Amino acid sequence: MSETGITRPVVAGPEHVRPGLADRLGQPGQPPYTRGIHAEMYRTRHWTVRQLAGFGTAADTNGRYRFLLERGATGINGVFDYPSLRAFDSDDPRAEPDVGRGGVAVDGVADFVDLFDGIDLGAVSVSLVSSQPIGAVPHLAMFLVAAQRAGTAATALRGTTQNDFLMETCITIGPAALPPAASFRMACDVAQFCIEGLPRWNPVSVAGYNYREAGADAVLEVALSLAHARAVVAELARRGVDATEAIARMSFFFAAHIDVFEEVAKFRAARRVWHRLAMEELGCRDPRAARLRFHAQTAGTTFSAATPLANVARGALEGLSAIAGGAQSLHVNGFDEAYAIPTEASAAVALRTQQVLLDESGVAASADPFGGSYLVEHLTDELEARVEEGLRSFELQGGVVAITESGWLHAELGRRAWDQYLAAEARPSPDLETGPATQEPEMFVLPDGVLERQRARLAEIRRGRDGRHVRSCLHTVASHAAAGRCVVPATLGAVAAGATLGEVGSALREALGTWNIPLG
Amino acid sequence: MEHPFGVNPGRVLVAKPGMDAHWRGAAIVARILRSAGFEVVYLGHARPAELVVAALDEDVDVIGLSTLSGNHLSEARALFDELRKHGADQDIDVLVGGAVPGADAVLLVQLGVAGVFGPGSRSADIVAAVEASVARRRAAQDRAAG
Repeated sequence: MSETGITRPVVAGPEHVRPGLADRLGQPGQPPYTRGIHAEMYRTRHWTVRQLAGFGTAADTNGRYRFLLERGATGINGVFDYPSLRAFDSDDPRAEPDVGRGGVAVDGVADFVDLFDGIDLGAVSVSLVSSQPIGAVPHLAMFLVAAQRAGTAATALRGTTQNDFLMETCITIGPAALPPAASFRMACDVAQFCIEGLPRWNPVSVAGYNYREAGADAVLEVALSLAHARAVVAELARRGVDATEAIARMSFFFAAHIDVFEEVAKFRAARRVWHRLAMEELGCRDPRAARLRFHAQTAGTTFSAATPLANVARGALEGLSAIAGGAQSLHVNGFDEAYAIPTEASAAVALRTQQVLLDESGVAASADPFGGSYLVEHLTDELEARVEEGLRSFELQGGVVAITESGWLHAELGRRAWDQYLAAEARPSPDLETGPATQEPEMFVLPDGVLERQRARLAEIRRGRDGRHVRSCLHTVASHAAAGRCVVPATLGAVAAGATLGEVGSALREALGTWNIPLG
Repeated sequence: MEHPFGVNPGRVLVAKPGMDAHWRGAAIVARILRSAGFEVVYLGHARPAELVVAALDEDVDVIGLSTLSGNHLSEARALFDELRKHGADQDIDVLVGGAVPGADAVLLVQLGVAGVFGPGSRSADIVAAVEASVARRRAAQDRAAG
């Protein structure tokens, strides 16, 4: 039995597959997209090799972006440090311990200019891992102003903003979180703005990966992700955005976990359910808009601390599940994932793992390579049924915002994380018994002086500006937020005038209030 | 001397330094300790000064820091500075859990941390460390009480 409770047959046969398979499958590139969203999948369109990168200052991270691009990465996956994700300035006393940690420190437009220095934003797609709406609003604004200064038209920009309200209110924690309904509204503001003005930008990437890492199993990961996207589409429709247009712009971020066949089945089931949901419940008029597009990341929680080099095998297997499952984009974790963000050396091995999958293994030659396998079709059907059940149950409980406000989701993830922990403790661990043959590799060390350099940068941003104008712009941001107007245009004005990330964050927090995440 | 209302098995303050966003590990460890009979006060994010005040106000035996962001060295150092200011550094033990490379674990112990629990740690070892810290503090208190 797997983590999801689906019994695994010793040998799967035709008796494990319900009648009517041909209708449930269709062809690759055809509804219900079980077999993938393109007719020829990777033959006509490679997945994007998109390795996460971010640490220290913008200049440090620009160096890592270039390192990866020079070695064959085809997209940027930019992660921000903890204070920047939550829209705090780097000189806030609460922020200082984590400036440049786990991602890059950004405080203003100048940092976004440095971050993409020498990179053609019209040619390379950029995923901004601005996971939390309070950060996503000013990050996107700063990115747009920086791109404009570099001479790239907004309409030419290709990329993604993660922008997931559950990341702010449930999955990850931080001081002064926005209340769930307010965070959800900010996310929808970003979505609305992008749909209206950035034709090639994915404004929401529902972070099922992080739900999984927090404790969800494959079923909850997908059900919660689809329920979340359903809520965003419904809110945008309420605001007058065409439902088909909104559906076409949703994107997803899933875990590629260690149970290879179940994961392949998960990706296939997710596409099928999203297509049904979009067409039958959300009023989508064009099946092509109902194609579920996703980025995948190998599962950090499966990477072992005791045997880091064995994680190279885990990364390859998990990457295989993502590709056989039809991912549009992939990140493979560094083998040192259990301890720290990747060094240049471990990042290079992860990148090479993707290239082995793409260029050497042959897995990219045929679309949906496991389609028709009794086992994978059985698992796909089983997962589909359980995901549908999850969707119904979230609806009965009032939807994703309601289950967050009530604390139900936090409790549910905590309960599942505990059960997984008990199961892991009960399992014998060859990793721990392998012993000293698996010595700890060299670990990432943050460059010296990041905090000082970032403080100097902040001072520079504040020095050159018209303070009275900035204050007035921030006041507009706050009043638009309080009045329920889309905050992105006012935020663009504020950051162009020199407002810092923390100042925008404070304006939003003051206007929208904060919330104690129900933990502890 | 046996207390008529029974013995307090030990109190642990669990907190997160800086802005590290992960809560899964802190929640699991809190639950392990509660299952083992300890009282756990979960403080969430706290700066070192707030953390020490809370530890003294709550009369905890142990402080457990949980962090996965890589800020463990600077924050443990800052925590010990605060504990020393309050004369509590010899009184309350500090344990650290999270994403801590082995070389850093050595440095943490040199700073005065009583135990470091990296990824893959076993619950029995965590419980044993807390038990030892509680026993040490209780013995010191008994000695002080004469």
